[in-house]
Amino acid sequence: MKTIQVYDPPMCCSTGICGTDIDPDLVNFAAMLAQLGARGLKIERYNLGQQPMAFAQNPAVKSLLEKEGTEALPVIFLDGEIYLKGRYPTKEERPALFRTALGEEAEVAP
Amino acid sequence: MNLPNYQPDPSLTTRYLFFTGKGGVGKTSLSCATALKLAEAGKRVLLVSTDPASNLDEVLETKLTNAPTPIAGAPGLDALNINPVEAAAAYRERLIGPMRGLLPEAALRSMEEQLSGSCTVEIAAFDEFSGLIGNPEAVKGYDHVIFDTAPTGHTLRLMSLAKAWDQFLDTNTSGTSCLGPLAGLEKQRVIYEGTVKTLADASATTLLLVSRPQLAALREAERTSKELRALGVGNQRLVINGVFETKCPDDLTSQAMQQRGLAALAAAQEFISSLPSFIVPLRPINILGIGGLRVLLDGHGQAAEVTPQRNDWSLPEMGSLQDLVADIEKQGSGVIMTMGKGGVGKTTVAAAIAVMLARRGHSVHLSTTDPAAHVAQTLAGQVDGLTLSKIDPAAETAAYQAEVMNAQGAAMDEAGRSLLEEDLRSPCTEEIAVFRAFAREVGQGTNRFVVLDTAPTGHTLLLLDASEAYQRELERQARSTQPEEVLRLLERLRDPAFTRILLVTLPEATPVHEAAALQEDLRRARIEPFAWIINQSLLQSGSCDPLLQRREEAEHPYLREVVEKHATRTAWLPWQPEEPTGPEALARLAASSLEPALI
Repeated sequence: MKTIQVYDPPMCCSTGICGTDIDPDLVNFAAMLAQLGARGLKIERYNLGQQPMAFAQNPAVKSLLEKEGTEALPVIFLDGEIYLKGRYPTKEERPALFRTALGEEAEVAP
Repeated sequence: MNLPNYQPDPSLTTRYLFFTGKGGVGKTSLSCATALKLAEAGKRVLLVSTDPASNLDEVLETKLTNAPTPIAGAPGLDALNINPVEAAAAYRERLIGPMRGLLPEAALRSMEEQLSGSCTVEIAAFDEFSGLIGNPEAVKGYDHVIFDTAPTGHTLRLMSLAKAWDQFLDTNTSGTSCLGPLAGLEKQRVIYEGTVKTLADASATTLLLVSRPQLAALREAERTSKELRALGVGNQRLVINGVFETKCPDDLTSQAMQQRGLAALAAAQEFISSLPSFIVPLRPINILGIGGLRVLLDGHGQAAEVTPQRNDWSLPEMGSLQDLVADIEKQGSGVIMTMGKGGVGKTTVAAAIAVMLARRGHSVHLSTTDPAAHVAQTLAGQVDGLTLSKIDPAAETAAYQAEVMNAQGAAMDEAGRSLLEEDLRSPCTEEIAVFRAFAREVGQGTNRFVVLDTAPTGHTLLLLDASEAYQRELERQARSTQPEEVLRLLERLRDPAFTRILLVTLPEATPVHEAAALQEDLRRARIEPFAWIINQSLLQSGSCDPLLQRREEAEHPYLREVVEKHATRTAWLPWQPEEPTGPEALARLAASSLEPALI
């Protein structure tokens, strides 16, 4: 079973609706994670505003924060490897992530 | 109508007591006096204020914090203030403190910024509130927990939040969704369920609706009664505070004051007889300190019998509202905001200014940010050139949800849209929607006059706090889809040629001190108030009623304090024999001034 870990920038909600602006890539990504979770993937999501300890305990994330600051967030891990950092996957990138996460034969949902 | 005097009976009093009602009706004095009575009967009592602009400190003459503090002179009585901004700061520190040294400075700063938003501020306060009522462990040493709540709008929000969050958690499907700063979901959930249950339990909770013998306050008590009943808070009492009977039948002012009260009680008779109702007579003094509190429930005007002494009082310089409006008018457009403690007459002053400007041929929009406002009743009539509106949180939230779905939903897939829709049902959304509506109303002042009647101080402070938090967040962001009026809100509020803030007060201790504290807060936010309005002054009333004479005399030091210590400009308004509603009465009120001949 694959694992996706997401280290979000500090935000109020997983969709960021409480901020000054709503990022559609973030909302779609959050929805995709819900779908992947329903298909059996292990999803871990940490928000710097609410679970800062998870950031301190992940050496890769901590060192990214030290080197690049919060610009490095979000950091998205697939099976422990950094898959993407600094932004959420775009509309064009999501099918690839979806396929990789589920295995190449999976049907592309999003 | 013969109603019994209000007396808290320790044997009949429930563990939880909530005092609510319109601003200025005496919630703080009554909750303090009740707490004192129960403590004197040997009970252990905790008194809690949930008002962001709490006056417990002043009334109890004790510096309070967000932890129980014993009150000197009242053994058994502890009190605390739930200050939302401090609660949020404490919440931030709980999260950030342990991370110092573990995370780089930039990450900590970014946490801090996120945790300064209005959502965190509101929820942190709500969290403390529900911790006291939903968690029996937290208050186990006390026989009674008495809540002195913020004026109605805010209280309803606080109480309905328990239900809203409880329901939101119930219907939330994704589990990771918008819980705002509600870390530790399951723990919170038990507390919110406990809060909803305790509020609905008549053997645990009594709601005391406080009113004045005044129509607007009684109507608001009635509305609140219905809304809280709908939320399940069913064990309700009504206390009508400040009922006045004159000892001087030949005098116009005291006759009118008694008449005004009787007429309001008669008009609200149906509501009054629908629940157990009590009265507290008007007292001649400001209710401050343990001694004053004893006078409120026990004292039979011993103070009233003291002959008024004409001291070396000299009238400080105070202008008229008319002169003030004439000055404001020169600008041609802009925003005028009335602010101050609840019950000081912000709505009346706002309506009077709007009528005056409209009658001078200007295009004027009168609006309110107070969830419990009565602008339409106060205006009670059409005026050419004057339009009216009200920021209705439910309608604003629905409109905001639709707007976001339209603007953002298009770029999303089906799953994204349904997740966004779910998060938009989070109680947090209302804060954003109301804030944006406020920005929109302020923005309208670019081409006409907008007169904004704000909610009582606490709520206004939170709104300003949200403006600053938004501004900071916007400055960090490169891209923004925010409307222009949101982007420019703070700049406009800070522009003294665009926004005129009028601090409205009564010539009494607490309203004056609350307005002075508000002025300090505004100045810290780099907003300078334009003038102070002293409303409902009995000066020159010429009453022969000893109680009213005492009250008139008691105004003197506060009139001086406003003019000499706080205000750069002051306008004075007299107490009105008839409630100033309708364009004619409002125009008359605005035109009144002190008679130099009587000075």
